[in-house]
Amino acid sequence: MPEKLQGMGAIPGIAIGTIMKAGQALDGYLAAYQPGTVDEELEKLNEAVAEVADALENSVEQMRKAGHDEQANIMEAHMFLAQDPMLTDGMTDKIQEMGNAPAAVLSSAAESAKIFQAMDDEYLRERAADVLDVSKRIACKILGIKEPAIGDDMVVLCGYEVEPSVIAGVPDDKIAGVIMGQGSTTCHSVIIAKSRAIPTIVGIEHRTDELADGTRVILDGNKGLIIVEPDADVLKEYEAKLAQQRAAEARYAALRDLPAVTTDGVEVQLAANIGSPSDAENAAKYGNRGVGLFRSEFVFMGREDIPSEEMQFESYKKAVLACNGELCVIRTMDIGGDKPLPYLNIPHEDNPFLGYRAIRISLNRRDLFMPQLKAILRAGVYGRAAIMAPMVVSVDEILRLRAFVREAMQELEDDGKEYSTSVQLGIMVETPAAAVMTPIFAKYVDFFSIGTNDLVQYTLSVDRVNPNVGYLYNHFHPAVLQLIQRTIKSANDHSIWSGMCGEMASDPYAAVILMAMGIHELSMSAPSIPRVKEMLRSVTFEEAKEHLAKVMEMETGEQVLKYLHKALAH
Amino acid sequence: MREEKFTITNSQGLHARPAGQIAKEARAFQAKVTLSVDATGKKTDAKSLMGIMTLQAKKGTVVTVSADGPDENEAVEKFGSMIESGFGED
Repeated sequence: MPEKLQGMGAIPGIAIGTIMKAGQALDGYLAAYQPGTVDEELEKLNEAVAEVADALENSVEQMRKAGHDEQANIMEAHMFLAQDPMLTDGMTDKIQEMGNAPAAVLSSAAESAKIFQAMDDEYLRERAADVLDVSKRIACKILGIKEPAIGDDMVVLCGYEVEPSVIAGVPDDKIAGVIMGQGSTTCHSVIIAKSRAIPTIVGIEHRTDELADGTRVILDGNKGLIIVEPDADVLKEYEAKLAQQRAAEARYAALRDLPAVTTDGVEVQLAANIGSPSDAENAAKYGNRGVGLFRSEFVFMGREDIPSEEMQFESYKKAVLACNGELCVIRTMDIGGDKPLPYLNIPHEDNPFLGYRAIRISLNRRDLFMPQLKAILRAGVYGRAAIMAPMVVSVDEILRLRAFVREAMQELEDDGKEYSTSVQLGIMVETPAAAVMTPIFAKYVDFFSIGTNDLVQYTLSVDRVNPNVGYLYNHFHPAVLQLIQRTIKSANDHSIWSGMCGEMASDPYAAVILMAMGIHELSMSAPSIPRVKEMLRSVTFEEAKEHLAKVMEMETGEQVLKYLHKALAH
Repeated sequence: MREEKFTITNSQGLHARPAGQIAKEARAFQAKVTLSVDATGKKTDAKSLMGIMTLQAKKGTVVTVSADGPDENEAVEKFGSMIESGFGED
């Protein structure tokens, strides 16, 4: 048995529990299955459907009681699906044809799922997974595979794929973590686990087979590490970490509805970075005010053709609605030659990060850009939306961008479609050129959002994932700090707002000096919000300005880092 | 058998929530209730959540509600008023 398994942390946090196998492959059971007469098989189907619907009804009640409404709604949809005449009629027909109930259920489900997968609407496409999940559960019932029994231990669900309904079937006080062999961090199961903040590790492939039922494990979701049968010392160490985590969670929960304001009354808006509309819904429990960066890449990835205006509109609208009246900043496509997509048609480039990417493509491809702009303008009707362009380096690009937005509005007007005229237009400041040009750019945009990941890389000429030069990557490098300060000052001089959506924004020490520079908004992955908020609420604006003055005199990034960690230690 | 046409008014169309409401209500009627969209030729049992969603009826789509059974009048009126009131959305 392995001592440690390294996967990918999909949801952070520590979990200690006992392995419960889930999501097994059914092939073995199917091969061993002895079907009866067609009538007997039909009878088995009816019984299984009734039992599964009952079990789902119980899950819905439990989840409602525990306040997990999102999950209760998904389970309720499953309950309806289990009894859906369209689905069950299809299964009945298949049984008559194949004479084998479980095989017929799975085959019919695959056909129904295909109908959903072929739809243009993202929401309906996702329902394919629900159909498959419910049907597998019905097939398991017929095959006599027991649903995992929950005992006294905290369990860690483990399987190549663990279906959403299986996760939903384990109550909060019994579930510690989830381990999946498959590598997606955006699948339905991960979304469900995220909404309940269950530490989850994915991507260990078929090594899930090495973890037997009843094995004691520790999950470190921050590192993606699984420790198998830990010894007493390791267990003690992680129990202490778990206790710390619980204490921090309690502190952070208390902060949720409080503003990120200094003791002398200066407030910074803390927003969330999201990759899909459902992230916006989950962010609420960390007390975000709006979304400072919606990476729209997910609508463009993993498909053969340009995503339609309608499909994008539905996604953006969902995110805008989840912001509850706060601003939702949607970044336009930020893809280049490093992620080749068939409809982008980018020839091979030696240096995709200095090549044809992001706004450079959008401004050149009406067919790609217009649907996206129109979708954002239409989503703006449902709350407050903003368009943000990545990788801008020149005034010319901003002027062309503005012309595109005007044209998009005109076309919507001509088509009689409803759209918002108050959608803000801003740019990412993520190239040294943009940062230097901000006094000019500020005349043409509504806001700046500093993208530090690229700004640091481009300013210091460092690829931070290159182990030989990664040590040079430091967002406190004086060159970077000066560009950031210049950007924030330019915004304030022209009475537009400035924010930051790179990783630096989630560094509580950086947050203090950014606030002192006069930044309006910091946007980060939602779980980082409480830490930054706690820090900002512990300082005064006056003391932050003193720290900033000292920091701006320093000669190296290391000095800045050391100084801030010492000065702001609590 | 009774049949009547209604136009979808809510901006979401027959998405999951309205589809769920219809499927739930349809179980309460003895009559067999069918929804169809003439424009696409698609047709479904009103008890089927999947079927209703696959109609892909958007705002402005004309849906034919037909019911056959002892309470067919009540059924057509019930689903007609649900559709016309926009399912309490918007």
